[in-house]
Amino acid sequence: MDSLQLGTYSFSSRLILGTGKFGSTSAMLDAVRSSGTQLVTVALRRFNREQAEDDLFGPLSAIGGITLMPNTSGAATAKEAVRAAHISRELSGSPFIKVEIHPNPHHLMPDPIETYEACRILASEGFLVMPYIPADPVLAKRLEDVGCTSVMPLGSAIGSGQGLSTAAMVSIIIRESGIPVIVDAGLRSPSEACAAMEMGCEAVLVNSAVAVARDPAAMAAAFARAVEAGRQARNAGIMPKSGTAVATSPLTSFLGSAS
Amino acid sequence: MNPLPTWLTDRSVSADLEALLAPENDGSLEQLAAEAQAITLRRFGRIVSLYAPLYLSNFCSSGCVYCGFASDRSAPRRRLEFDAIEKELVAMKALGIGDVLLLTGERTTVAGFDYLRRAVGIAARIMPRVAVEAFPMTVAEYRGLAESGCTGITIYQETYDPENYSKLHRWGPKQDFLERLETPERALMGGIRSVGVGALLGLSDPVGEALALARHVRHLCHTHWKAGVSVSFPRIRPQNGGYQPAYTVGDRFLARMIFAFRIAMPDVDLVLSTRESPAFRDGMAGLGITRMSIASRTTVGGYLDAETAGASQFEVSDDRTAEAFCNALREKKLEPVFKNWDRAYNGPLTEKQTICL
Repeated sequence: MDSLQLGTYSFSSRLILGTGKFGSTSAMLDAVRSSGTQLVTVALRRFNREQAEDDLFGPLSAIGGITLMPNTSGAATAKEAVRAAHISRELSGSPFIKVEIHPNPHHLMPDPIETYEACRILASEGFLVMPYIPADPVLAKRLEDVGCTSVMPLGSAIGSGQGLSTAAMVSIIIRESGIPVIVDAGLRSPSEACAAMEMGCEAVLVNSAVAVARDPAAMAAAFARAVEAGRQARNAGIMPKSGTAVATSPLTSFLGSAS
Repeated sequence: MNPLPTWLTDRSVSADLEALLAPENDGSLEQLAAEAQAITLRRFGRIVSLYAPLYLSNFCSSGCVYCGFASDRSAPRRRLEFDAIEKELVAMKALGIGDVLLLTGERTTVAGFDYLRRAVGIAARIMPRVAVEAFPMTVAEYRGLAESGCTGITIYQETYDPENYSKLHRWGPKQDFLERLETPERALMGGIRSVGVGALLGLSDPVGEALALARHVRHLCHTHWKAGVSVSFPRIRPQNGGYQPAYTVGDRFLARMIFAFRIAMPDVDLVLSTRESPAFRDGMAGLGITRMSIASRTTVGGYLDAETAGASQFEVSDDRTAEAFCNALREKKLEPVFKNWDRAYNGPLTEKQTICL
């Protein structure tokens, strides 16, 4: 079976959903259900054990068949991300941690230096580490070397909806990587998720595009189908792109037959 | 007074905002609203982060003409003792609040730095996020607050017009325009993660204030790349003392100003407090505004016992309960978020040795 393998975990769905930005918890849960996703990420800052109505973790953990991947969004340094990972593991029991370190709270770009350091520590502690990173092929290999479970390069800035603007770099990461490459952030429409899968991503993570859609549950389902289609196409062998026509009279016939 | 810094006077820095605020564009308000809404939705989603103020003390050494707590006002003075602070915070927590703004007047011996620092420490044990709106401090003092669990500082310049500023601040340490102007930077150098800035709208020409405020935000973002900067839009409210604002800031102008800030600064938190009416707040939620105060008591000790609490700094316009306000947001398909931070991220953002200017 063609499943997404992350550490010892296996998932038949290749769509990972983010859970922030929704207009209500029930809209978020509907989207999670209709997407068929089996892996969702939730920010530690949205865990609220003291007020159920404000909590994202409780209702998500009540849905069967879902693995939770806490994330460290809010951390500005490796130290803070490591602290957040420890607390998250304690609260959620999940071995996954999505390392998000963005020292600039406005553009939310991941810090490669702090991310590397946090991943090195967390991987050595046995976490299944999934770092959100700039689309940098060298950093991706460095993170693989320290034991990350996957790398999650950004398609474009979080919440920008600019799609796979880093496609050229992501394709190098995919070509070189020995661990799953998952595009995270920036995807606006299902066709872009499909394109990421056709390129060879093992999965995609989507949040804003679903959360801010007029009908988040329907959009989540559309993304799920696009991700499946992209994967299927990739496996089926996509016709190579060619910029020139093939001459009917061979150009090299004058060279004679092989001998 | 020393000359004004060039970043404050360089109009090219705020030229984009100036075009959006131009009076001949008044017909385009609806278009600006749509653009601001789209940007807000993309970057912040359908959520509104909530916080609530807690007035710790209304002792004050300043003579701000427009304030109900100025030192020449007859308002009864009160300071919350530490056990009362804890009780108030617990009462706020019971309302669901997870983000508190602690307020005091200008520095006094009764409510000075040591008092404030201890209050922050108490609050940080109860609330995931603690911010302070008090008096200007030194870098070392801000570091002390950050180490005690303070995440953010709010400090309004009140007015960016230096002449008006000196007329409105009749005595006290707040008279120094430049000292106040540089306060957000000192907070950031001390490791405070985010600063909230604003002008008290009505004190000076509102367009000039908006542009100077925008330049201030951009200056802070350029010089402190890790800083979270948020912008508030306080309009003068009726208060004890009866000051009449020199400029009228109407709803249409304020809305335009907020839309313009959202368009010019797509990823900065824009804040609206309970100074504004329910209709204005509900209307602006999601149209640029991403952070709002709730259940505000502007009296000292207002959460536990509204009856015995002291005089208020200004009159709150939106006095709905947290629940009623949240329901109004939900009607608009916006999710009120009470906890959008975690203690794991508390503590100074910068290391001591990296302090430099």
